[in-house]
Amino acid sequence: MKYLFIDSATTNLVVAIINEGKVAYIYNNDGGLDTSSKMMPILDEAFKASKLKPQDINKIFVVTGPGSFTGIRIGLTVAKTMAYSLNIPIIPISSLEVMASGNGGTALINARRGYVFAGTYDAELNVIYPDSYILMSDNLKKPYISYDKFDFAVEKPIVDVLKVIRKHENNKSVNPHLLKPNYLKLTEAEEKFNHDRES
Amino acid sequence: MYILAIESSCDETSVSIVKDGVEEISTVILSQMDTHANYGGVVPEIASRMHVENITIVIDEALKKANMKMEDIDAFAVTYGPGLIGSLLVGLMAAKTLAFIYNKPLIPVHHIAGHIYANNLVKRLEFPLIALVVSGGHTELIYMKEDYSFEKLGGTLDDAVGEAYDKVARVIGVPYPGGPLVDKLAHTGVDTYDLPLPLNDDSYNFSFSGLKSAVINLAHNERQRGKDIIAANMACSFQNRVVEILVKKTMKALKFYNVDNLIVAGGVAANKGLRQALTEACKKASVNLIIPEMKYCTDNAAMIGAAAYYAYKRGDIAGPYLNAKAVTLLK
Repeated sequence: MKYLFIDSATTNLVVAIINEGKVAYIYNNDGGLDTSSKMMPILDEAFKASKLKPQDINKIFVVTGPGSFTGIRIGLTVAKTMAYSLNIPIIPISSLEVMASGNGGTALINARRGYVFAGTYDAELNVIYPDSYILMSDNLKKPYISYDKFDFAVEKPIVDVLKVIRKHENNKSVNPHLLKPNYLKLTEAEEKFNHDRES
Repeated sequence: MYILAIESSCDETSVSIVKDGVEEISTVILSQMDTHANYGGVVPEIASRMHVENITIVIDEALKKANMKMEDIDAFAVTYGPGLIGSLLVGLMAAKTLAFIYNKPLIPVHHIAGHIYANNLVKRLEFPLIALVVSGGHTELIYMKEDYSFEKLGGTLDDAVGEAYDKVARVIGVPYPGGPLVDKLAHTGVDTYDLPLPLNDDSYNFSFSGLKSAVINLAHNERQRGKDIIAANMACSFQNRVVEILVKKTMKALKFYNVDNLIVAGGVAANKGLRQALTEACKKASVNLIIPEMKYCTDNAAMIGAAAYYAYKRGDIAGPYLNAKAVTLLK
């Protein structure tokens, strides 16, 4: 089986092609902005390096969030468009699970004003604490894993794409037309609108 | 040449298939207007969210409506700017992905070029021409001596004309989207309010924020004195000033450049007051006036597909690095 993996939800962009259980290509780099410019050249390189065509892919694994709203949409639009037009099954993945895929722990994404996107996974990627948008708290299980800077110690994520794919390889695929980002957070305008309506 | 075009620069997700820049094969437009009406204007993050949810559905519908398959498409076109960056990015990434997987050219189209070329779907453009582009985001006078050659003569220095309409609508209590309703109201009112003719100079530039402020101040002063403004009369006075300056500078450009083709494009091209005044002025000056049908005035991908054909002929083909631009000059 040939798989494509895309995660553009955080500052660390991951694009991988898995060919018969082996990583044929992986781009896994932190500190990058401008994902919209980089995405297609990286995909192009990924297919060239693994000597495959988009038409050869059997399954797409795409991170739907949480994380950067724009970042999520970039990867998801590419994955949805490819899945829809080439009729490839697509499976949504959590950004926090990808971050915790090394040895497990609580993956954190800074959501500002004291809030975080947090999810705790064990080393086998079982969910210990589900992905949430919450105020940062000491109750979250250590170690903390993040690409972001906090005023407490965090470990750099170790991304194990193969582990994530093995965990979700047999998940039921989703209709690409219905696949949505998992922002875990309403827009500010919606929050205010709901608040005004309730009060 | 069949071009599949995507437009997502603001609050409409639209996909069209256009043949040779003149023939609209199919168009699908998914408007988010009802959602944004809850907020009194377009909320960029909500717009982006709705684009990503709908993009593949709209592409699929456009193909089905045309009774075509992706393999029948010769090139992909997309609005790369100007517009809301998050919204633009969804259409841009979808178009880049399609061009990549089908190994077809990717044609980047400037949103304003699209508005101008909407007219090409009705009747082949004749050159040289002057284009007056008026919408919620743009107010520009452009000189074109031939296909896909753009010389900007002037533009707004602050608010776009449609933006001024929406803000004035709020002041006089007209719901969103205010533009069309202010236009309607203006026809029932009388020009009684003393408003200034904005940026009445020799340039081809426009400025509507002063006029908008004048409306706000007048309304405020009247209310302070316990009187309420007469909305229809305020709409009429405001619209008369806007139309007068737009017509004046447009006719001046036509005369100066010795051009007898005028094209009006953009959402405000649907404004009845403006259409009427331009029709009269052009008749008097023997200028050939082209105003698109209502369906081509608002954002749609057919116009992007029409422009893309001429952009392609000029050699505008983008590489995989193409990025969206919130602000970009039409060249």
